[in-house]
Amino acid sequence: MKISLNWLKEFVEIPVDPHRLKADLIGVGLNVESFGAAGDDLIFEIEVTTNRPDCLSHYGTAREVATLYRQRLKPLEYTLRESSAPASSEASIEILDPELCARYCGRVIQGVEVKPSPEWLKQRLEAVGQRSINNVADVTNYVLMELGHPLHAFDHARLTGHKIIVRRARVGERLRTLDGVDRTLGAADLVIADAVRPVALAGVMGGEDSQISGSTRTVLLESAWFEPVFIRRTSKSQGLHTEASHRFERGADIEMAPKALDRAADLIVQLAGGEILRGALDVYPAPQQRNPIMLRRSEVQRVLGAEVSWEEIERFLRALGFEVERRGTDGWRVTPPSFRLDVSIEVDLIEEVARHYGYNRLPSRVKPAPARVTGSSVREVELKISETLVGIGYREIIPSPMIDPDENARFTDRPPVVLANPLSQEASTMRSSAIPSMVRALKWNLDRYRNDLKLSEMGRTYTNRAEGLPEEKQVLTLGLSGRRQGASVHGTEEGIDFFDLKGDVEALLEAFDLPGLAFEPAECLYHEPGLGGRFVAGQTPIALLGKLKESLARDYKLRQEVWLAEVDLDFLLKASLRHPSFKPISKFPPVERDFSLVVPETTPYSSLEAAVRGLGLEETQSIMPVDRRRSEELASGTIPGGHASLLLRVTFQSPTHTLASEEIEAASQRVLEALEPLGVRLRA
Amino acid sequence: MTLNSSMTIDVKVRNTLVDLGVLNASDVRALFQEALHTAENELMEFSRPGPSDVSQAAKVLRDRWLARKGGIVSLIDRNWLKPAPEELKPAVGAEFNALRQLVGAMLSTESLLMSFENAANEAMADLPGRTPRPTAPPDLTLPGRRRPLGSVHPVTQVMREIEDIFLGLGFSIESGPEIESVYYNFEALNIPESHPARDDWDTLYVDSQTLLRTHTSPVQIRAMEKHGAPLHIICPGKCYRHDNPDSTHATMFHQVEGLAVDTDISFADLKGTLDFFARKFFGEKIHTNFFPSFFPFTEPSGDLAISCVFCDGKGCRVCKDSGWVEVMGCGMVHPEVLRHGGIDPAQYSGWAFGLGVERFAMMKYDINDIQLFHQGDVRFLEQF
Ligand SMILES: [Zn+2]
Repeated sequence: MKISLNWLKEFVEIPVDPHRLKADLIGVGLNVESFGAAGDDLIFEIEVTTNRPDCLSHYGTAREVATLYRQRLKPLEYTLRESSAPASSEASIEILDPELCARYCGRVIQGVEVKPSPEWLKQRLEAVGQRSINNVADVTNYVLMELGHPLHAFDHARLTGHKIIVRRARVGERLRTLDGVDRTLGAADLVIADAVRPVALAGVMGGEDSQISGSTRTVLLESAWFEPVFIRRTSKSQGLHTEASHRFERGADIEMAPKALDRAADLIVQLAGGEILRGALDVYPAPQQRNPIMLRRSEVQRVLGAEVSWEEIERFLRALGFEVERRGTDGWRVTPPSFRLDVSIEVDLIEEVARHYGYNRLPSRVKPAPARVTGSSVREVELKISETLVGIGYREIIPSPMIDPDENARFTDRPPVVLANPLSQEASTMRSSAIPSMVRALKWNLDRYRNDLKLSEMGRTYTNRAEGLPEEKQVLTLGLSGRRQGASVHGTEEGIDFFDLKGDVEALLEAFDLPGLAFEPAECLYHEPGLGGRFVAGQTPIALLGKLKESLARDYKLRQEVWLAEVDLDFLLKASLRHPSFKPISKFPPVERDFSLVVPETTPYSSLEAAVRGLGLEETQSIMPVDRRRSEELASGTIPGGHASLLLRVTFQSPTHTLASEEIEAASQRVLEALEPLGVRLRA
Repeated sequence: MTLNSSMTIDVKVRNTLVDLGVLNASDVRALFQEALHTAENELMEFSRPGPSDVSQAAKVLRDRWLARKGGIVSLIDRNWLKPAPEELKPAVGAEFNALRQLVGAMLSTESLLMSFENAANEAMADLPGRTPRPTAPPDLTLPGRRRPLGSVHPVTQVMREIEDIFLGLGFSIESGPEIESVYYNFEALNIPESHPARDDWDTLYVDSQTLLRTHTSPVQIRAMEKHGAPLHIICPGKCYRHDNPDSTHATMFHQVEGLAVDTDISFADLKGTLDFFARKFFGEKIHTNFFPSFFPFTEPSGDLAISCVFCDGKGCRVCKDSGWVEVMGCGMVHPEVLRHGGIDPAQYSGWAFGLGVERFAMMKYDINDIQLFHQGDVRFLEQF
């Protein structure tokens, strides 16, 4: 809302400079964004919150200024020169739906000359952002800006039967509004009609046919009050937001209707000549009453934590237009004015007091919450994961989970959540897999010549369900591409492979107590066949990892191989972190034994390790495959085809004594025995 | 097959020279040098203070190299020398004899004890028959060998910083669904469809009853329903708006909301706590300024501005010359909202706030484009 300082001064004296005024208005909740010169005037740009339609006018703003500086607000009194002919003989008003139109006032002005407005009026309207049309239309806009009440001027001659009927539209009735749009109306629309057809969309916009034109001689001026919720609905359904609907949907002042009408009639006669017919036509079937509210001083104290004096509370409220009567020892009976529909309960009054008392004058205290033992384990786990990821080189990303449904479908069978009003096709679905977001992030960087990438995301996936809210699952995604180590004087470059990804997932899972944790190769929609697998905890798969399928990589135009993992965060957040339990450090030396083995290629390494661990030898400290080569990699005939050589290093150490060579020999023998059933034998 | 430099000597001695791709005399020499250096390094390792049972450790080391069966020297004899191609035999034989002598001397009982008693370097220098090694030190001005660390997203960093401040004040963390019902996102927060205030939240809908939450406030209602009063919580998380993306608007962004409900809570607690928070986050020198605003779910409602951190309140582009920057909305919880949470507003009162995490991060790190947060560009991420 643009407010002219000169205009404001017509209603109240302002004893401060504009900078101070700006700060003080902000202090009472009128957010002045800026002010600037316009000729000899200053224009304040004020952001008015939706609860304060009364401040969408100069007069309403003046009331706040008057309250701020203890100034008198100029009362609104208009004495009109009326002709002897009664208005009632020239027009009649009928409200068929008093629920939606609680009041309709009209005046008839005869003999006007419609012409351009005088300079002062044009300038003022322009200064507050309104376009000048003609003297009559400009007056209605002027009064709107001044008093905040929307008005409409009809060409009296165009009203068939000189009648105004406020009614619901009949299905299929048509109206061309002032914006030139032909609108087909329905029973949900409220119209102002003459004897035969609609002439205006009530509270929103007038009709083109009955608008003021150069040939207009008699004006019928409308000043009405329409029900806010209904106007909002009409404005929405017609896609039409106007200065009038903006105010009516926020709640106009029903008692302002006749005053604004008189103010406008007076101005029209001044600018366009003519005479005002005697009497305002005022249909107001059920005069509105505001319910009084009890305000307790103790409640003011409870909510604000401050002792505000009786006198101050009364002064603020009265200056703002409230009727205030002391009641009992603790308070008042307060009746809000007709222009403050936003005030209906005690705490609303307390806000009024607080606004003018000044938020910055209110006391301030810091009181920590009562100590409580809370299960903050989720955050603990998140921090642990985050710490591990940073340590092993992952940069965290936070992509938007809104993606293209077709893209989503290439990574998962789970149904995503489709948006009804998306901003674009690419962001029309809440993803049911987090992998596409990761692939996109990798691509973004690869396309920008960043080659070595380790990215992570802790986010959610969203899966549609037949009933209830969608299922939201927390998921950790890892994305890897490029080199483990770049070329430098310290070594040659090494590319990333599956085991980099697997090692990172292992490092992550190591922090948790996961009974039955095991890895198994597995197929997955988006993995390259044979280069993907999963970790399971007992029967539950908790992590999927592998290389992005080549066909997908091609479609994304990725320059490099990409490795991806998704980890079930919900599972990890519920799992317990491994609780360290100290084991005494052995004082006795470890002994390494190397087994040079020949292993059938079909026997996975994991089964060897499981067999050795299965022995339960207390001395077995670690088992490490040190070297593995397939028969093709060795000189021919060294080992049989279909086999691989494997150098297995087992470290033995006892917590109680130095292992004797016989003990080591015995343990080694048992290791070999355990491996034998798997077709494993010592290399000759 | 090419020589794998990462293979340990233990692996190499189990392979033949052919397997290892050693094909000429100079490769043979290099391989034996490597074996000798490994022995020297292990001796140096042994001589450092460590094993309590010196004689046992000495035996282990000696066995490893010199054991008749399975010792490294004997494996070299078996795998390198014996199957060596005829043309390399003389070179391999000479190297093998030299190695056997040197290692034998290095690992003799006397030598081991002496090296253990002396400091490691001196022991090495005194060793008889040690082959001279290049003495020129490496160029230490070369860059270090880096193991790149990862990084935590700036939004997460800021969020955790905010969380930490409130956790320190005794608040706990609550979360809720991002895809919400219209009831929790609007109705329970006193924002009926019929009120123009509803238009302040441009909303992405799933259907008429389901939407992407426009703020984390629904979590407040859910927490009130679940825990009742008293309650001190913060709700961090993702939110969504039907906003065309530009440098200050993102369709997805993060909020932290806070809620305190108790029997003895007033606007003074709101002011004190948020002033404490703002100064803890932005620095103790800043000033706070509370002024009235409007939110349907609070009454009285306010905005908190801080003195501009870029110009110290003198006025600049960031604060539009006002010296103040709005950082969050706040207010006393509307009695209707408490009722929707199942809490009696006659007995309890509360205050709440909501802030945009990206905005905080933008102020903290002087970032001018909100889109940067969500692109995943490492050129951005590596700066934090
Ligand atoms: Zn500034």
